[in-house]
Amino acid sequence: MSAIQRVILRRLRNAVITIFGIITLNFFLINVMGNPLDLINRAPNISPTIRTDTCIRLGLCGPDGQQLDLSQRFISYLKDFFTGNMGTSFYWKGTPVIDVILPALGWTLLLIGTSTVITILIGMVVGALSAQMRGRPFDIAATGLGLFFYGMPFFWLALIMQLSFTRPQFGLNWWPVFPSSQEYDFSIAVFSWTKVSNLLSALYHLILPATTLALGTVAGVALVMRNSLIDVMTEDYVVTARAKGLPSRLILRRHVLPNGLPPMVTLIALDMAFIFGGAYQVEYVFSYRGIGWVTITAINAFDFPVLQFVVVLGGIAVVIANFVADLILLKIDPRIKVA
Amino acid sequence: MAYPSSSVVYWFRRRFGISEVRREKLVLTMTRFREISSAVVHHRMGGIGVAILAFFVTMALVAPLLPLPYWDASLFPSFQDPSWAHPFGTDQNGRDILARVVWGSRVSLLVGFLASVIAGVLGTLVGLVAGFWTGWRDEVLMRINDILLSLPWLALLIVLAQILGGQLSLSVIILTIGLTSWNFTARVVRAQVLSVKERVFVERARASGASGITILRKHIFPNVFPLVFANTILTVAVAILSESTLAFLGKVQVGTLSWGVILHEAEASSAIINGHWAWIVMPGLSLVTVILGFSLLGYALDEILNPKLRER
Repeated sequence: MSAIQRVILRRLRNAVITIFGIITLNFFLINVMGNPLDLINRAPNISPTIRTDTCIRLGLCGPDGQQLDLSQRFISYLKDFFTGNMGTSFYWKGTPVIDVILPALGWTLLLIGTSTVITILIGMVVGALSAQMRGRPFDIAATGLGLFFYGMPFFWLALIMQLSFTRPQFGLNWWPVFPSSQEYDFSIAVFSWTKVSNLLSALYHLILPATTLALGTVAGVALVMRNSLIDVMTEDYVVTARAKGLPSRLILRRHVLPNGLPPMVTLIALDMAFIFGGAYQVEYVFSYRGIGWVTITAINAFDFPVLQFVVVLGGIAVVIANFVADLILLKIDPRIKVA
Repeated sequence: MAYPSSSVVYWFRRRFGISEVRREKLVLTMTRFREISSAVVHHRMGGIGVAILAFFVTMALVAPLLPLPYWDASLFPSFQDPSWAHPFGTDQNGRDILARVVWGSRVSLLVGFLASVIAGVLGTLVGLVAGFWTGWRDEVLMRINDILLSLPWLALLIVLAQILGGQLSLSVIILTIGLTSWNFTARVVRAQVLSVKERVFVERARASGASGITILRKHIFPNVFPLVFANTILTVAVAILSESTLAFLGKVQVGTLSWGVILHEAEASSAIINGHWAWIVMPGLSLVTVILGFSLLGYALDEILNPKLRER
C-alpha cells in the first residue's frame, strides 16, 4: 500500500467516524429537547388506546405498547437510519420525511448552486486583482468592502435587498413585494420543470435570494484568495521569476496560481457549512421553501423526524465536501508531503 | 525595604506583593502591551476598528445617562416615520427606535464579550491538549471538533439553546454560543502548539526534567497566547452575529433588548411592506459596524502578532 493510499484511507476513516458522530449526537441532542409524549399526556380526557396508538406511531413505544427508553430508541433509530426509513413528519400530517425533504432539497441546491458559482467566479477574480494591486486603491476598497460584507448577517442583507428592490419609494420597484418571496409564482398550482413559463418564474424568483447569498459569501472567498496569493507572491521563487524579467501575467499563471489555489479548495469546502447557515436565513426571509425554511418550521413545531434528518443531511454533506476537497488537494497541490 | 509592623499587611505583602522578578516581568509585559497597542492604533485597519469599537462601547456604557426612554410603554404614537423628535421613528408599541438601538448595544456587546471568553478558554484548552499530547487525546478532540464544524451551526445553535432552556434567557444564549464557537480557536491553537513544541527551549525544559503541565504552562502557553487573543477578538464578531441571528428568528426571551430583537420586531410588524426603512436599516447598520470593528481589530492584531504575516 502506497503512502498516498494510506492517507486516503485515514481520511476516509475520519470521515466515517465523523458521520457516525453526527448521527449519534443528532439523536441525543434532539431527544433531550423534550418528549412529544408529554404533550399528549397533558390532555386529561385522552383515551389510553389513542395514546398507545400515537406512541407507537411516533416510534416512542414498542409494538407491545410499552414505552421505549432512550437506548432502545437509539438502536431503532440507527436501524431505521441505515435502512433508509426516516419516519413520518409530526407536523406535515404524517407525510414521510423523505417527501418533505426532497422537494425542499431541490430548491436549496438550486439556490446554493447558483450563488456558489457566482461567488467563486467573482471572489477569485476580485481576490486575484487585489493581490496583484496590493496596497493600491482598488485593493483597499475591495478589502474594506469585503470586510464590511463579510460581517454582515445574511438575514439583514436579505431584508435590505427586499427593501431596496421591492418598494417603489426606494427607486427600484423591480420585484413586486410578494413575488419576491416564494420560489415561484402563486398562480402556479403544480410546478413542473418542463414548462418554460414555470422555469422562467422560478428563475425570476431565484435572482434576489441567490444574489443575497452570493453577496454574503463572496467577501470571504475574495479575502482568502487575496491573502493566499500574497503569501505566495512573497516567496523567493516568485521574486526570482520577477528578477529574471518574466512578464507578471506569466508569473501569475505559472508560479503564483498553482501554489495559491489549493487553499481555496479547502476554504470552499469548509465554507459549505457557513453557506448552509446563510441559506437558512435567506430562505427564511424570502419564504423560499428550501431546507432552511423546512428546518426552521420543524424547530418551531418540534417536528423531530424532519429535524433529525435535516441536521444529519447537512452534516454529512459538509463531511463529504471536505473529504472530496482533501482528495482534490492531494491531486493538485504539489507541496503536500505525505506525513 | 522595611515592612510595616502589622503582621496582616506583612503576610499580604509576602503572599501577593510584587517581587523584583515579578516587577521586571510586569514591566516587560506592559512594554510589550504598549508596543502592540500603539502598533494597532497606527495600523490603518486597526485604528479604524479601535475607533468604531470605542464609539459603541462608550454608547453602551453611557446609555443609562442619556435621556432615552426605551422601556415597554406606549410613550409615543406607533409606527412613526423618522422625524426630529424620533430620528429613527417609533415601533409597534410606540417606543423610540433610536433609544432602543442605543440600549440594544448593551446586550449585543455583552453577549459578544462573554460568549467569546467562554469560547476562547474552551478552544485554548482543547487546542493545547490536542497539540501537546498528540495521540488518542488529539484524535478524540479533533473528531469532536470535526463533528461540531460540520453540523449546520444555526440548527445546532437553536437545538442546543432549546435544550438548555425553552425560554432563551441571556445566560443560556451566552452559554450556547460559547459552547458552539470554540472550533476555530482550537484549530489555530493546536497548529501553533504543534510548531512551538518542536522549538529548542521546549526540548531544553524537557531535558531538565520539567513535567508536561509545566512546559505547557510556562513555555508553550505564553507563545500561543497572542494568537488566542487575536482569535478571541474575531470570535466576538461571530458571537454577536450568532446572537442577532437567534434573536431575529425570534428565539430569544421576550423582553430582552438587542439589535436582533429590534429587527425581529420590525419583520414581525411588516416593516418592509409598510416602508419603515429606518427601523430595519439602523439596528442592522449598528450590528454590521460593530462586527466590522471587531473584524478590523482582529485582522490588525493577527497581522501584528503573527510572525509569519509580519515578515511580509
